[in-house]
Amino acid sequence: MSAWRTLLHRIGYLSRPRRFDRQLDAELRFHIDSRADELERQGYSRSAAEAQALAEFGSRTRVAEDARAAWQFRWIEDLITDITYALRAFRRYRAFAATAVGCLALGIGANALIFSLVNAALLRPLPYPEADRIVMVRFTPPHQPDQKLGTNAGGYFFIREHSRVFERMGVLRITGFSVAVGESDSVAREWLQGGWASPGLTDVFKVQPVIGRWFRPDDTQTGVVISHGLWQRLFGGRPDVLGQTIRLDLWRGVVIGVAPEGYQTLTPDVDLWIQQPDQDLARALRSPNRLFNVFGRLRPGVTIEQAQAELRTLEHPLGEYLPMNDGWGLDVDSLREAYVGYLRQPVLVLQGAVFLLLLIACANVAGLLLAQALNRQREIGVRAALGSARDRILRQLLTEHVLLSCVAGAVGLALAWFGLRTLVNTGLSAYRDLQNVTLDWTVVGFAILISGATALVFGILPALQLSRIDVVTAIRDAGRATAGPVRSRLRDGFVVMQVALALVLLVGTGLLVRSLLRLNAVHPGINPDRLLAVQVPLPRALYANTGGNTPAGGLLVRFDSRFSDLTERMRDRFARVPGVRSVAATTPPPLGGRARRVLFRKVRSLSDDRDPWSSEWYAVTSDYFETVQLPVLEGRTFTRHDAQSSRPVVLINATLAARYFPNESPIGQELQTDILDDPPREIVGVVGDVRQDRYQASPAPQIYVPRTQLPYRMDMQMALEVLVSAFVVRADVDPAALVSPLRDAVRDIDPTLSLSSARTVEEYAAGQLQELSQYATVLGIFGALSVTLAVIGILGVMAQAVGHRANEIAIRLALGAQASNMLALLLGHGLKMIAAGIVLGLAASLMITPVIRSFLWSVTPTDTVTLALVVSGLALVALLACYVPARRALKVTSVAALRGE
Amino acid sequence: MGKAGSGELVQGTLPLLILRTLASGPNHGFAVARRIQQVSKEVLRVEEGSLYPALHRLEVQGWIASEWRVTENNRTAKYYRLTRAGRTQLEREATRWNAIAEAIAAVLREA
Repeated sequence: MSAWRTLLHRIGYLSRPRRFDRQLDAELRFHIDSRADELERQGYSRSAAEAQALAEFGSRTRVAEDARAAWQFRWIEDLITDITYALRAFRRYRAFAATAVGCLALGIGANALIFSLVNAALLRPLPYPEADRIVMVRFTPPHQPDQKLGTNAGGYFFIREHSRVFERMGVLRITGFSVAVGESDSVAREWLQGGWASPGLTDVFKVQPVIGRWFRPDDTQTGVVISHGLWQRLFGGRPDVLGQTIRLDLWRGVVIGVAPEGYQTLTPDVDLWIQQPDQDLARALRSPNRLFNVFGRLRPGVTIEQAQAELRTLEHPLGEYLPMNDGWGLDVDSLREAYVGYLRQPVLVLQGAVFLLLLIACANVAGLLLAQALNRQREIGVRAALGSARDRILRQLLTEHVLLSCVAGAVGLALAWFGLRTLVNTGLSAYRDLQNVTLDWTVVGFAILISGATALVFGILPALQLSRIDVVTAIRDAGRATAGPVRSRLRDGFVVMQVALALVLLVGTGLLVRSLLRLNAVHPGINPDRLLAVQVPLPRALYANTGGNTPAGGLLVRFDSRFSDLTERMRDRFARVPGVRSVAATTPPPLGGRARRVLFRKVRSLSDDRDPWSSEWYAVTSDYFETVQLPVLEGRTFTRHDAQSSRPVVLINATLAARYFPNESPIGQELQTDILDDPPREIVGVVGDVRQDRYQASPAPQIYVPRTQLPYRMDMQMALEVLVSAFVVRADVDPAALVSPLRDAVRDIDPTLSLSSARTVEEYAAGQLQELSQYATVLGIFGALSVTLAVIGILGVMAQAVGHRANEIAIRLALGAQASNMLALLLGHGLKMIAAGIVLGLAASLMITPVIRSFLWSVTPTDTVTLALVVSGLALVALLACYVPARRALKVTSVAALRGE
Repeated sequence: MGKAGSGELVQGTLPLLILRTLASGPNHGFAVARRIQQVSKEVLRVEEGSLYPALHRLEVQGWIASEWRVTENNRTAKYYRLTRAGRTQLEREATRWNAIAEAIAAVLREA
């Protein structure tokens, strides 16, 4: 209490020191006058009394000072002096201050920028009550613990039944819907992701809708809860949205609630939720399809490790109860890990990279400060001679450094803000989990923290050096620029460190760039030029649930001729759109998305006892190969005669032909896939390889079947895949101009249909490399910055080295030494630093670059070509940075230095 | 003033004396010094060099407060008065001091 009052009083004093001094003076004056009155009463004359009183009082200044001291924070006054002094020093050494602030601001800004990503992805709490208790349970296939998949209905019920660690569990199944608002059929449809939510799901997340309510088990109509974003977009944020009709495919739903902003189940693009009652789920009890995502809220006090340990014990019983889960593992992850765990490594690597950049900046500024110390020897020496204590000088210097880094921190934050805006506007939108990246107070706090830390890192060594100054030599030798051997070695050390760190960043960037180049050089196998892929999800009305089960227990659906009729009608309609050269249908689009994988073996071959092979599987229309310009190497492609009633046929790609039929012609042989009801098919042709996924080290085996010969019955999962048809359009014009006419064409055929996506194949191709190329770009920018900083460092050291050997050089030149010899002498110094830096940097790279191994493609972290290119490039730039100042110095030195002497 | 030998204050007792003096009513620094001298029968003498810093420290700590008033002689003087916190502090300090004094006296008597 008293301490608090004391503080207030002192702050009060700080605001009006002058008035205080006046009052103190009056108070002391009164004392002296009173004493004089007393003396006068004892018989002194007035003037004698006053003189006597004054004399008795002693030093009024000292009394005043002691009284004042009661009111002051001594250190604040000192600090103000220090800051004033520092500002004066900066004004005097403007170039130095600007360079130092610039370097540090780059380092701090880059760190703040990347930290804002780390903060958004890994630190900021998810917007659910006690979010750390929410987990996802996923299944891992036998022997593939890293691949985390959804669960089948049976698995969910089993876990819910037998586990004791969850307070509540729920599942979500995500599907696409063709959505329209209102009753009218003429409203344009939109393809949206929706989630079928089991009753427990809302209790897991425990978030109430901002308006309306969640579903209830006794709801009679289809209640739909929409996302905050969809509310804004489709309903303009109107509060009377409740009760509005929303049409999903052929159903009618009613909006009963709006989820709060940021409410996210599995992925941010799920825009609406519908109730899926447990009895629906129960019907799929024996289905092997892993369509469901399991969420759980842990009981209070249960850790994720405990939950994981309990689920481990359920794996075996689950496999015995439902054989399709035999060998599968159960994996528990926190909600954050499940949502953005994949971002952890990339953002932490980037944070590491910018940390290196900051270290370079620190080394740079430390070097600058050491050079600066030479200029300031005299000034510091004089202060020391006048009695400034060493700790006082040290404090003064540290104040300067802290001030420098505060300014740099502010500039850096501004840089980070601009950088973030650029990033959000360009690349970041691709990362749907990184939408809410902002420079919030956590980031600002982080920037302040690292600013303070950097001040210590770069400032402490130079400050100790300078404050330990020997007064006499400092004053005598100042201006003659004699650097002690220790100091210049220290400075060289900073340059070595910068070169080494820059090399690490460059090697990382180089490896990524080389991966990119290699990937780009991979031919996709088709001609992507002016090739547009539009996806039109066909309505579920095209299949009727047969109510039957696959042998494994999955639901079966039955197709009839409506499916191929609709596909044909759309193909015809698209072909009539002006600018379209040819159209074909496939699943999925070329280079866009993962193809279905099937197992196959050769039919009627007693000698063939090999295990079934795995292959990508595509269902295409007859003109697919012509449209995407996939070359036919042998045999024929599909024709209109390959109909449901005719002999089942299949095409294979060159890789499959070469590997599976190494010494025979595949034409005429028969293949059998593991697809339900799929007949044995005769191989009628061999086509080229397509790199559906460019990251595959070699082309995968591929199988093409005609869409006219699909089995009538399919399991649910395959039906859903086939129903999302991709139409591939080869255009004569700019494909972007075709999107709108194609959209109209779809509505022409059926107003309940909608395009779910329209992208060129080139966009798909670029999309596959997007993550890597953005990563390489960002690292490349940091690499370039690091080289710039290192060059500034080298320039500074060389300028100083040239400067303090100016006399020696001038005399040698005057005595007839060759200028080239002198140049070699100066360059030798630089060369040694660079060589040391590169050796250190290479060693550090070998230790550090394995962390980006997972981003590399057919390039090892020790790739010799990359290392050689990066080393020689950096060495060249660094040597230039040595050569230029040395060369220029030699021209000027000879005359000027002698005159100066 | 403050001749050595006659009345050097025991270290740390000045604030206590000031607080006690002001307990009888607000007064200015000069009067406080004189009053201590009088009451102690000229044994204790207060130097200006310690008086004013001590007064200011007490004020900063909030145990006394000040205001400017006009004296009978028509001079403006800074009058100090005891605050409530100061009164508590005085009681605390006086108790402590008495205890110490008694203890010392006891030792002197019996040891």
